[in-house]
Amino acid sequence: MYVIRREWLVKRVLLVTAMVVVLGLALVVYFMVKESIPAFKQAGPANLFSSEWAPGEGRYGMLIFLVGTLATTAGGLILGTPLALGLALFLTQVAPRRSRALFSRGVETLAGIPSIVLGWLGFTILVPWIRELSGSSGSGILAASIVLAVMVIPTITAISRDALEAVPSTYAQASLAMGATRWQTIRRVQLPAAKHGILAAIILGMGRAIGETMAVAMVIGPASVFPTSLTSPTHTLTTKILMEMGESTGVQRSSLFAMGLVLLMLAMALIALMRRVSGGRSATPEVVE
Amino acid sequence: MERAAWTTAVKVGGMREVEPGATGAAGGGWLGPCGAQARVEKGVRRGSVKASAAHRRAALADRLATAGIWALSILALSTVALVIGAVLWKGLGTALSPAFVFGKPQAMREGGGVWPMVVSSFHLSLLTLALVVPLGVGAAVYMSEFAGVGRLARLVRFGADSLSAVPSVVFGIFGMVVFVVYLGLGYSLLAGALTLALLNLPTVMRSAEESIKAVPRSYLEAALATGCTKWEAVKRVVLPVAVPGIATGAILTAGRIVGESAAVIYTVGLFVRRVPWSPFRPAAPMAANIWHMYTEGALVPDWFRVASGEAALLLLIVLTLNLVARTTAKAVRKRMGYRD
Repeated sequence: MYVIRREWLVKRVLLVTAMVVVLGLALVVYFMVKESIPAFKQAGPANLFSSEWAPGEGRYGMLIFLVGTLATTAGGLILGTPLALGLALFLTQVAPRRSRALFSRGVETLAGIPSIVLGWLGFTILVPWIRELSGSSGSGILAASIVLAVMVIPTITAISRDALEAVPSTYAQASLAMGATRWQTIRRVQLPAAKHGILAAIILGMGRAIGETMAVAMVIGPASVFPTSLTSPTHTLTTKILMEMGESTGVQRSSLFAMGLVLLMLAMALIALMRRVSGGRSATPEVVE
Repeated sequence: MERAAWTTAVKVGGMREVEPGATGAAGGGWLGPCGAQARVEKGVRRGSVKASAAHRRAALADRLATAGIWALSILALSTVALVIGAVLWKGLGTALSPAFVFGKPQAMREGGGVWPMVVSSFHLSLLTLALVVPLGVGAAVYMSEFAGVGRLARLVRFGADSLSAVPSVVFGIFGMVVFVVYLGLGYSLLAGALTLALLNLPTVMRSAEESIKAVPRSYLEAALATGCTKWEAVKRVVLPVAVPGIATGAILTAGRIVGESAAVIYTVGLFVRRVPWSPFRPAAPMAANIWHMYTEGALVPDWFRVASGEAALLLLIVLTLNLVARTTAKAVRKRMGYRD
């Protein structure tokens, strides 16, 4: 009797620990909504999604920052995806077999580097370098895209590599046996077979780029205006929240939470998309090899 | 079309017969079991095999693509070396000096150290791990042994996936509202640890789940057959075997906690003079302090030196943690008789 009751109790306790993630998510969503209500009530959605940010005059538009987020994310993916896919193909198909583990570990090392360290490096080396080459301030979308590319490479590489490795080797053998070259095999057999995994990898990389804060904050500018070129200062949603949360109150503070809510919804939409693409497999990234 | 071209090429060239496996597949799978394709290409280059135009095009595309993949990979891998090299080059000299690591921080004068920040990072990691590991392992045990595939399991999976996608700055302002203000903890190690525990819960849970799944099913079945209840079997047989994997995940998580700043800045603090010994005290983890130096740095004349030193120190700590995690994982796998 005691054993049965203990078993029942343990199962309930474990269930509670498992429900913490659900509860945590609910709390995060609840407080983001709750804290942004004043902004929606007093400023109104039209004001919040306008392109003018001037809290002194009661303008709380976040369009500039949304554009900044989308532009830097797109830039990071455009620069990072080819490198990451090339690297994934290299690690699974081309690299000498004995050195594959070593190269894999190199990429994983990149994933472990704290974003603040990458940001500091961007601020001390990348931005002055762009400034010299372009004659502008140096910070802006270009610098942020380069830093983000470095950050998405490990994510996209690791997941694409796993997807390519999951393609049965008989597919490649059949293709090679019919006389196809290695590139023909990659392009016509292995890439199409790993399509879903690679797409999931890119979506996850996109999520990482959208949410990245510190590394972008040190190279983006900052300035609350639309960028006029790739090397003119601007802001993203994350950097705006980071830099103004400390010294804002009232509707301005609430509008920063509204930006947090937008970020949250973007992230959740990407995860929903990713779960659909990868066929219900867990979308939580692994930390252990 | 191209396939036919290959066949012709082989026929025309009058291939010599070669024992299977002579060149072997060890160098790379693409050669096929006997390296026939490489031999054909060699024949084409020497002129002993006559190639059709289609074959030449395919061979050229193959070589170009290979070169492209090599070039992209070298570029990506050299980025890793470049990043690590640049951080260490800028700050290693500072980071390795005892006066810097163990020194007192300065708010106005130069020559300050970062000892309270180092301890802050350490305490924050310990406190967060103490919160997140039991929760994560409990959730992982539930998901892998008790949940089945029902609606509840799907709900938990959805929660974990979504939570893992939330940007860290959103966790930061969430922690500020809930733990710092609402629960009245103020800027403190505990407020930061609670925030970071939530942030890291999905990944800890996932890695614990993978470690539990890696334990052969027969272990559990054998324990159940001797009359253990499910929980007894899990506690005495499955979990002990999974512990090394869980520990590896925990060490990697410590690395992530030490490196996290966006979620820490509005929950823990940016600058302290004294070592924080209580979870209710404000603290200043290194990562957050780098941000402080970047924004308020002008107050300290040598802010650039301090931030560079902290960046290098942080990188060294994170790289060491990752190395330790992977070496332990490998050693344990070897001892348990698995091979890579």
